[in-house]
Amino acid sequence: MANGNGKGFVLWFTGLSGSGKSTLSKMVEERLLERGVPVEVLDGDEVRTNLSKGLGFSKEDRDTNIRRIGYVANLLARNGVCAITAAISPYQEIRDEVRGRVEQRATFVETYLDCPMEKLLERDVKGLYKKALAGEIPHFTGVSDPYEPPAKPEVVVYTGGEPPEQSCARIVKTLEMLELVPPVPGDDYGADEEAAVAARLRDLGYLG
Amino acid sequence: MALLSKLFSRPTKPRAVLIGLDGVPYTLLETLIAKGVTPNLGRLAAAGASHFQQMDATLPEISSVSWSSFMTGTNPARHGIYGFMDLKPGTYQMYFPSYPHLKAEPLWDTLGKRGKRSVVLNLPGTYPARPHEGVLVSGFVAIDLKKAVHPPSILPYLEKMGYRIDVDTSKAADADFLYRDLDETLAARERAFDHFWTSENWDLFVAIITGTDRLQHFQWHAVADASHPNHERAMAYYAKADAVVGRLLDRLGGDDLCLLMSDHGFCGIETEVLVNRHLVSGGFLKWEKDPPDSFADIHPEARAFALDPSRIYLHRRGRYPKGRVEEREVPALREELKAFFLGLEYQGRRFIKEVFFPEQIYEGPEFDKAPDLVLLTSDGFDLKGNPKKAEPFARTHFTGMHNRHDAFLLSNRPLPDKRPHIEDVHGLLLGWIG
Repeated sequence: MANGNGKGFVLWFTGLSGSGKSTLSKMVEERLLERGVPVEVLDGDEVRTNLSKGLGFSKEDRDTNIRRIGYVANLLARNGVCAITAAISPYQEIRDEVRGRVEQRATFVETYLDCPMEKLLERDVKGLYKKALAGEIPHFTGVSDPYEPPAKPEVVVYTGGEPPEQSCARIVKTLEMLELVPPVPGDDYGADEEAAVAARLRDLGYLG
Repeated sequence: MALLSKLFSRPTKPRAVLIGLDGVPYTLLETLIAKGVTPNLGRLAAAGASHFQQMDATLPEISSVSWSSFMTGTNPARHGIYGFMDLKPGTYQMYFPSYPHLKAEPLWDTLGKRGKRSVVLNLPGTYPARPHEGVLVSGFVAIDLKKAVHPPSILPYLEKMGYRIDVDTSKAADADFLYRDLDETLAARERAFDHFWTSENWDLFVAIITGTDRLQHFQWHAVADASHPNHERAMAYYAKADAVVGRLLDRLGGDDLCLLMSDHGFCGIETEVLVNRHLVSGGFLKWEKDPPDSFADIHPEARAFALDPSRIYLHRRGRYPKGRVEEREVPALREELKAFFLGLEYQGRRFIKEVFFPEQIYEGPEFDKAPDLVLLTSDGFDLKGNPKKAEPFARTHFTGMHNRHDAFLLSNRPLPDKRPHIEDVHGLLLGWIG
């Protein structure tokens, strides 16, 4: 199987609007495609246009939207694909529900995009926060609707300050650690370098 | 003109300098200062206990863990580094946790977000280098200088000036070679400190001297014994390191904070303790092939094993391919192991001082990777995770070992009135620079 172990997985991004989910999902997608891993991105905005057309932003509708994304991601993962989801997915309970389903047959990698509100307000490319704060957009996550940060995500990236390349590298490194994607020799420790590290540690009395 | 340039060069922003003396114990430093070996450190310490304190390191008390706690201000269950080596999830295959595996944010990333620049030189646990706002030259266990620098543009300078990542520890059992190599490496290190001090506009300057740790691993007997033939050579090295520190101290501006620290203490080795061999004797560990080639030779009936230096893992079902320890068995097994370790004796003396369960010492999102027990020994008893040795106790050419309680913290400004822990240093620096 192309991803190295035959197991598909769901890379579940969660974070506030503007925290970089779409940007990072595209970057990670490219890095994984380079390594021959089959990838599909389920972007929150695109899903709402297609799969979840007509749904609003009440808690019930949000939960339905996330369940649908989770359902499709799970189908993909079960068939050896890396499904990257990029939706706000504000509620822990529903994320856990999706995790439970996915983990029956595949791996769920919750990735929290941690970005401080002041940074989001500063960026606000689409002017959404400005409108939400003015009361023009009801149920806006982080302003008039709650966002529950993950209690125990597999990865946290700090998109308020670190460059996206750094966030992307951390995510891909975690996927390597979980043996979900093959490492690129020389990216971290290659075999020769690993042997050199082991030798250095032995020189100081470790490993034996 | 001189006065004018001095006025203009005076820092208008709070800067901080962190100088690390890897492994130098507080109690040794007290002695070195009292004997006048390290006069520059002595001038800071002369201000008394408000400026010079004994400090606790992490558990385990090894550089990769301690420096990770320093740079992130967090415990291993937050930064994710529990040792120099670990087993890949769901396997018995070793890997070496390094900078990319650090899960908490290092100080320079936080400062970078605030528009502050950091120069970080020879800090263990930062390899391979990755970008931050400023300069990084990775320390131990850096292998390839090309991958140990950021930005890449500094590489030609470092290569040209003969920078050395570390002494050649493969030859360090030869004392003549070691002392010569220590001096040459320190000289190259200082050239790099000098260069980046002046060529970079920094807010945080981190400069680590790791030769002290290497000296102490191989030559602790010469350090501690004034009658040893190599004692004066050892003292001369501390004096040279002190002179490097002194030249940095002389450059400090009046507004600068300067902290000096070690990442753990050090003491002499009475005996090495082969933890896995003890686990075999106690009936907790069994190998399919004994001695084993690696942890992959563990027997399905094994209930626990040790990883360097003091971490005990239960051989749990679901976590390890051959593991059979069920979740319901864990509480009793932990207690059984704790009692077993606390009862171990060497020449009629008990040497395991404390046995910690992870919830006593760790908290954070990486908690599930924590060992099931962590051992703390009395000074002199050096724990080893090596599974291959047949004897429970051994001596080798190493004469010094780490300890947790005897690191030091020294400052040019008053320190908080409480015993420091290595995780606290991060907050002191961040609080100063802002």
